[in-house]
Order: sequence, then structure tokens, then C-alpha cells
Amino acid sequence: MISVTDARKTYGDFVALDGVSIDIPSGSLTALLGPSGSGKSTLLRSIAGLEGLDGGVVSIAGVDVTHQPPQKRGIGFVFQHYAAFKHMTVRDNVAFGLTIRKRPKAEVRKKVDDLLEIVGLDGFQHRYPSQLSGGQRQRMALARALAVDPQVLLLDEPFGALDAKVRADLRRWLRRLHDEVHVTTVLVTHDQEEALDVADRIAVLNQGRIEQVGDPVSLYEKPANDFVMSFLGSVARLGGQLVRPHDIVLERDRAAAFEADARTPGSPGVVTATVERVVRLGFEVRVELRADSGERFAAQVTRAEADRQQFGPGETVHARATRPADATEVDPALAI
Amino acid sequence: MRTSRGTTLALRSVALVYLVGLLAVPIGVILWRTFEPGVGAFVASVQTPAAISALNLSLLIVAIVVPLNVLFGVVTAIALARWKVPFRGVVQAVVDLPFAVSPIVVGVSLIMLWGVTGWFGGLESATGVKVIFGLPGMVIATIFVTLPFVVREVEPVLHEIGTEQEQAASTLGASGWQTFWRITVPAIRWGLTYGVVLTVARALGEFGAVIMVSSGFPGVSQTLTLLVHSRYIDDHNTYGAYAAATLLMGLALVTLLGMTLLDRKRSTR
Ligand SMILES: Nc1ncnc2c1ncn2[C@@H]1O[C@H](COP(=O)(O)OP(=O)(O)OP(=O)(O)O)[C@@H](O)[C@H]1O
Ligand SMILES: [Mg+2]
Repeated sequence: MISVTDARKTYGDFVALDGVSIDIPSGSLTALLGPSGSGKSTLLRSIAGLEGLDGGVVSIAGVDVTHQPPQKRGIGFVFQHYAAFKHMTVRDNVAFGLTIRKRPKAEVRKKVDDLLEIVGLDGFQHRYPSQLSGGQRQRMALARALAVDPQVLLLDEPFGALDAKVRADLRRWLRRLHDEVHVTTVLVTHDQEEALDVADRIAVLNQGRIEQVGDPVSLYEKPANDFVMSFLGSVARLGGQLVRPHDIVLERDRAAAFEADARTPGSPGVVTATVERVVRLGFEVRVELRADSGERFAAQVTRAEADRQQFGPGETVHARATRPADATEVDPALAI
Repeated sequence: MRTSRGTTLALRSVALVYLVGLLAVPIGVILWRTFEPGVGAFVASVQTPAAISALNLSLLIVAIVVPLNVLFGVVTAIALARWKVPFRGVVQAVVDLPFAVSPIVVGVSLIMLWGVTGWFGGLESATGVKVIFGLPGMVIATIFVTLPFVVREVEPVLHEIGTEQEQAASTLGASGWQTFWRITVPAIRWGLTYGVVLTVARALGEFGAVIMVSSGFPGVSQTLTLLVHSRYIDDHNTYGAYAAATLLMGLALVTLLGMTLLDRKRSTR
């Protein structure tokens, strides 16, 4: 288990970490999610020992490592831009940590070859990093970090420099790898989809603080505040409340809308609106609306529903939410 | 913008004339004059006792100066690129000073410092170690004029490679020392090589600073450059000067070639 208690870090006047406390259970895959500049990398690098804290305690597996250098923390670290050792072959890169530990040659060779097979780089032993694609370089970097059997694996936006397709492939692959290897893993990302896709726990950071920690479902369903709600998944503002666009139901019949809404306690109420645009996004359809109050919002309905109702621009509909929003106070800046 | 064929041709011709006129012709003339009377004459001229002693002295100075400058240069470059150095601007300026100061000024100031009547002159009277008009003086003068080369070649490379590879090594368990030898040194290898080549070339060719602090006795305290000078000016031995100059040039070429080959052999790509 990794446990960070009241971590503080400032750069001059700027507070990068403002009393962060988090426990990361052994064997979990935790994502640190937050906007740019929220302190994700700073937190991860403090766990690794690449950054010193101004206050607070970091412990790994029950050992206080706050004042230990990175080489004594039993970690593996993967950098966004790979940090490949350019002058070494793939094999030497992966073997680096074992060579430093002076393990017998035969053992190193076997372990490296096994790891390269796991990460799908078998046969690339004698290439140099410059002869690999970005995705391959990152898999090499992962094998290199895993070679030393780290207690924890720390990844700082490992797929950030790759294109969308490779990124999606690699993160599923990372998830499978994690299910096989079970090393406690912390992944930094600013991509909510990535966090929801791979992590079994997500910590949302904002301005050097942790807003909420939990499993993806509870964060999505029960966000602690508007920031978490709008950062994980999209939101619409209906009757002064934030709701998920797919929780909005559009009815042509005003009476039916009010009747259904009455059965949903705590709902934002019925909002009468004009359809501005209907956008078909494959399976789903986004209906862009303008409330009578002038406020714009979007509802997401299934294709079947859209086909049944045949919404068209200029028509009047009555919007309601199928369940009450968990967020109470509304920050207008967060609504879309 | 596209340059016309005529302009391109004109530009190329100017560049060519410049290169040929200023570099190739003088070197060619020296080579031609040297080998005009045959290879035998050249060999004889560079095998006189004075020439052999000058060659040895030049190489000795190079052998002392290069390791010292590599050590100082790499440490300084790392300090400037990686550490928090107070008065960074001042340090940078000091490193560049030898580029700005004329070598002859360096020679004069060394005499003022280390000469018998200078600030550190006491050393000579106390220990009998002759700095000025001895080997130490020539070494110090050469170090001074070659000081910036390694720093100036290595520092930008350090900035360029960044710190991530070094950090990665530390997370993999490498100590600072291991990271330096296994990651940093291979990464700066090219810059270092270049810095060494420049240092060797300049150390061999330095004249102004060295002539001030050398007693200049043939066969004792003459470097190759001093030999060329004295043969030409004092002995009116024009041919001998050409031959010694050719030898000097040959040494520089060998350095350049050797370093390139060495690096090609070790370089991975
Ligand atoms: N060396 C530094 N000097 C000054 N400020 C810094 C330094 N490193 C980070 N910061 C500041 O600390 C804040 C947090 O940085 P951090 O790198 O942790 O953000 P992040 O959440 O990883 O963002 P991103 O998603 O853009 O990588 C940023 O506002 C950044 O400007
Ligand atoms: Mg970051």
C-alpha cells in the first residue's frame, strides 16, 4: 500500500500540493485524474522521490520513505516521453536495473527476454529506441520498469504522446497486464475516458487538492461536487441543476412530462425548450436545445428514441431528468 | 522565395573562392614547399634534436592539459546545466573570458602573477619550482586559452538531453555515480569528443601566451609552434619552418581523424 499524508509542495508562492492525503491499496490500479496544472505529476513524482516534499509523509508498504532517494523506494517509473536510454539497445534498456543490481548474466538475459515477450517486443532485442515507434518505446519503458520487480509502478501520462487509437489499445493492454502482474499501479492522466477505462480507483485532483477518491462507478454516479461531476463525463444544466445529458428525457406531451416528473423527487423540474439541432453520433443522438429562459443545453437520446419521436429543429419539447442530480450548488462556469 | 540559377552559382563561387583563397591556398603552399625537395628532406628536418624535443614538449603539454580540461569542463558544464549555481552569469562570463582576452595578455598577466617579482613569486624562491620560463607556466598558459572548449561543447548537449533519462536511471536503482557513467557520459560523448579535439588543436597551436612564459631555448623549452617561429625569424631557416609547420598540421589532422574513427567505432548511431 502507498500512503501519502498531508503532502505539501510549493514552488515559490505557488502551491502545487495543498495538503494531499491518499491511500492507495496494494494491487490496485489507481488513476490520478485532474486538469492540467492540478498537481498530478507533482504528487506522483513525490511518491517516486523525484521531487522532495515541503511537508507531509510518504510511505510505501508501511515504510516511511519520505526522505529516501528514488533508488531506495522499490518503484518503477514510466515517463510520458519514454526516457529511453538512447545509446542502448532494447535489451540493454530493459536489463539496466538488473545490471545495476549485478544479477548473473544468464538470469538477466532470461528475465529480459521473458519481459519483452510479455510486452510484445520479442525479436526487437537488438534494436535501438530510435528504431521503435512511440507505442513500442513506451512498452519497452514499461518492461524496463517492471524488470526490477517494483513494489509499485508509477506512470506519468504514459500514453499522452501517442495517437488516439494506439492510446486506447495500450491502456487496455496495460489493464490486462495489471490483471496478470498485480503490481500496485498509479497512473496519471488528464483524460477521463482513460481513467474510467483502466482504473479500479480514481482520485480527482484540482488545484493541488484531492476532490474525491473512489471507484469509477461511484464517482460517475455520485460525484461529491460539481467539479468532479463535470470533470468525469459530460453534464448539462437543467433548471439550475447539473445533470447527465443521457438522463434527460424529452417529451412532446406537456402533461405527460409533468406527470412523470412528479414521480421523481428532487428533480430539477420540467423545462420547456426549442430544438435547435439534432446531431447523430452513431448509436446515440444529441439533441441541442434552447430553453425558454434562453439557456442552451444538450440531451442525449438513443437512436431508437429519436426515430420514434422524429425531433426536428424549431419544434417545442419538454425536458425532464430521470433522476435527481447529486450536485446541489451550481457553478454556471461548469455547465456546458 | 526561389533564388535564380545565376544567383546560386554566384553565391557558390564566392564561398568557394573564400575557402580556397583563405584556407586551401596557404595550406597547399606550405605542403608544396615542404615536400618540394623530397620526403627525405622533410624527415631530416623534423628529426633534428631541437625538433624532436619540441614535438615531445608539445605532446607533453597536450597530455597534461587535456585530462585537466576534460575534468574541469565536464564538472563545470554539469554544474551550469544541472545545479543551482549562484552568480550563473558571472560563471558563464568567466568561462568565456579566454575567448575574449588576447593570448599575449594572458602571458603577461601570468608573468605578473607567477614571475619572481609577482604575487606568487615566493613559491619559486621557496621551492625552486620554476613556473614562469618552465613547464608549469606553459601548461597554465595553455589551460587558460583552452578552458572554454569542453564546457562550451558539453553544456548545450546536457541541456538538450534533459534530465529524464537520468531520473529514469535513478528510479531503476542507479546511484548518482552509476547514472553519470552509464547514462550521462555516453550521452555527452559527442560534445566531449568535439571539445577534446578543439582543446588538442588549440593546445598544439597556441603561440602568444606560451611565447611569453617560455624561456624558448631550442631543444629545451620550445614547443612546436615556438620552433616554427624561431626557425623562421631567428635562424632564417625557412624550409625548417615549413617542415615543422607541416608536422604541426599533421598532428592536428591525426587528432581529428583519430577522434572521428574512435567515435564511429563506439557510436551506436
Ligand atoms: N519546477 C517547477 N517550478 C515552478 N512551478 C512548477 C514546477 N513544477 C510544477 N510547477 C507548477 O506546479 C503545478 C502542478 O504541476 P504538475 O506538473 O504537477 O501538474 P499536472 O497536474 O501534472 O499537469 P499536466 O496535466 O499539465 O501535466 C503547475 O501549475 C506547475 O506550473
Ligand atoms: Mg503532468
